[in-house]
Amino acid sequence: MFEYLLSQLVSPVFWQLIASGVAVGMIYGVIAFGYQLTFATSKTLNFGQGEALMLGALVGLTVAPYTSYWLMLPVVAAFGLLQGSVVERLGVRQAIKIKSEAGWIMATIALGIIFKNLAENIWGRDDLKFPPPISEKPLSFHGVNVLPMELVIVAGAIIMMLLIELFNRRSIYGKAVVATSNDRDAAGLMGINTGLVITFSYALSSLTAAIAGVLVAPVTLTGATMGSALGLKAFAVAIIGGLSSGFGVVVGGLILGITETLTGYYFSTGYKDVPGLLLLLAVLSIKPSGLFGKSAIKKV
Amino acid sequence: MTLKTGFAALAATLALASAAAAQDIKIGLTGPFTGGSSSMGVSMRDGVKLAVEEINAAGGVDVGGKKTKITLIERDDEAKNELGVQIAQELINKEKVTATVGFINTGVSLASQRFYQEAEIPVMNNVATGTLVAKQFPAPNYIFRTSANDAIQSSMIVDEAIVRQGFKKPAIMADSTNYGQLGRTDLEAALAAKGVKAVAVEKFNVKDTDMTAQLLRAKEAGADVLLTYAIGPELAQLANGMAKLGWKVPMIGSWTLSMASFIDTAGANGEGAIMPQTFIQQPTTPKRKAFIEAYQKAYKVDRIASPVSAAQGYDSVYLLAAAIEQAKSTEGPKVREALENLGKKIEGVVTIYDKPFSKDDHEAISGNIPVMGIIKGGKVEPAHPEDIAGDKAVRVKPKA
Repeated sequence: MFEYLLSQLVSPVFWQLIASGVAVGMIYGVIAFGYQLTFATSKTLNFGQGEALMLGALVGLTVAPYTSYWLMLPVVAAFGLLQGSVVERLGVRQAIKIKSEAGWIMATIALGIIFKNLAENIWGRDDLKFPPPISEKPLSFHGVNVLPMELVIVAGAIIMMLLIELFNRRSIYGKAVVATSNDRDAAGLMGINTGLVITFSYALSSLTAAIAGVLVAPVTLTGATMGSALGLKAFAVAIIGGLSSGFGVVVGGLILGITETLTGYYFSTGYKDVPGLLLLLAVLSIKPSGLFGKSAIKKV
Repeated sequence: MTLKTGFAALAATLALASAAAAQDIKIGLTGPFTGGSSSMGVSMRDGVKLAVEEINAAGGVDVGGKKTKITLIERDDEAKNELGVQIAQELINKEKVTATVGFINTGVSLASQRFYQEAEIPVMNNVATGTLVAKQFPAPNYIFRTSANDAIQSSMIVDEAIVRQGFKKPAIMADSTNYGQLGRTDLEAALAAKGVKAVAVEKFNVKDTDMTAQLLRAKEAGADVLLTYAIGPELAQLANGMAKLGWKVPMIGSWTLSMASFIDTAGANGEGAIMPQTFIQQPTTPKRKAFIEAYQKAYKVDRIASPVSAAQGYDSVYLLAAAIEQAKSTEGPKVREALENLGKKIEGVVTIYDKPFSKDDHEAISGNIPVMGIIKGGKVEPAHPEDIAGDKAVRVKPKA
């Protein structure tokens, strides 16, 4: 048994699975990072995160032929900011104002459905091919093959998350975000417009989703339904990693992505999704705040 | 004229007008015109419409000496079972159709056909391939089919891979839907009949984007060919996944490998995939030439998105029209009987239909009719041109 495990560790197959798991996991992680952003400031989530990703990808697909893939990124980023603000203004603000426990859940789900239907009407219901900006020829490292685009996904996700962390820690606006996350009431008393900060966190969250959308679109397919499954997986990731930790959700994403590919290979591809769900249940019953989450005491 | 008589006159006019419309033969047309299987649904719809336009332009269907036009009632089932059921009820109870043509998805057809069977209204199932579809009910069965079922397709796939091309270690790749899993069962049975066992049997979900685990299992098991049962987008992910792993074995699978969503999204990685086809977009007979040209002219396309669906849809209308003429009636039971004893030979696009159906056999397509197609330059071409050369171009169902 031990020898078998050891032999697997040196086989390229094992590392191929890890590489693919990391690429998939990073996608989950970036979307989950968006959940974490809004949860930090407002204790609410955008359940339409998958749809924000889908809209980003489709807008990118429409804009890319006029510019280039890389020039399209700022357009998609701007679109993400706008879309997130709309979600917050329409769906979340009222619920927070009246301190509704579930209003924002229904509202963000409803907005997600509306966005999906809108996309179906504009771009149709067929899956479309997103032309990749770089070569589709795989790179080989000691028998482990990766697509250049997978490297772009991983690098892009890390850079985006670092930029946001840097912004939060260094800039004055970022400090307002952090202050709001720590104690909304106190931040408000210090003169921070916490309502605006929450809008901003939603805008930022949709921005990450929209960019994630154009990053993953060349390796997945692009279409109105591409977000639903990813959004759900990312939600599981956010629970596993802990909604209050940006680092946690990325690790959570990697854990889920890697368990999926490893289970698929070593057990059965029919049970690929099972261990992730078991992990989710285990985390919920043992450490409900997530593997890396800070347990919060809810004051009543 | 008082107001009252005015209304009476108006009502009478309306009744007359609707009576005139009611004299048309109403035929339901249902399939997914949007969504993942829409390339098949739309091509099928366009094939059906083309046939109806031709028939109407020639005066319509002769029902007991009276030329009657056909009116189509189109409904999009979005490949959703529950929507298919609603549409069936609407077409039967509200629109009171004479018959319905269509169905792309086996799940939708199995869920919806029950209502037609109960209402004794014939269904021409022209694309769905699930083996159960045409024998869901015992005689008198109202469900007829003009597509090659999964039992036929899976044995063709196995024949091609094992017998003709001599592969020894097939791996099966099927999606987790009804379509994929029923197809997998058929494939396993067809392999067993040849004394071969698949070296790997793998499964994936619709919308899965990473096929590394499935492909590596097949690769490590030493697979020399992939036998597939899934639909376009995931098939493309399989082909792209192989390219990523730097591993290439042929893909031989069900006819969905000819879907535009596979050909377009797999691009170069999809070249060489082989699948059974009842019709390949090539003018191998005068009838096929005329059909392709009429289709291209009517819908302003060069490549038919799903030629198989278009041809089967087109033929299903001519079969139905012939049955209505023979029955001299639009009543369901009479049309069914006429379909089961069709006297007239019908030259269709797919084949020449000579008594295609009987009381117990509702499959117009027999195992000898389809040929293998191959993807070349983004188009489906005959995999073995010699199979359809000369007088073999038209393959006819053998007499029972």
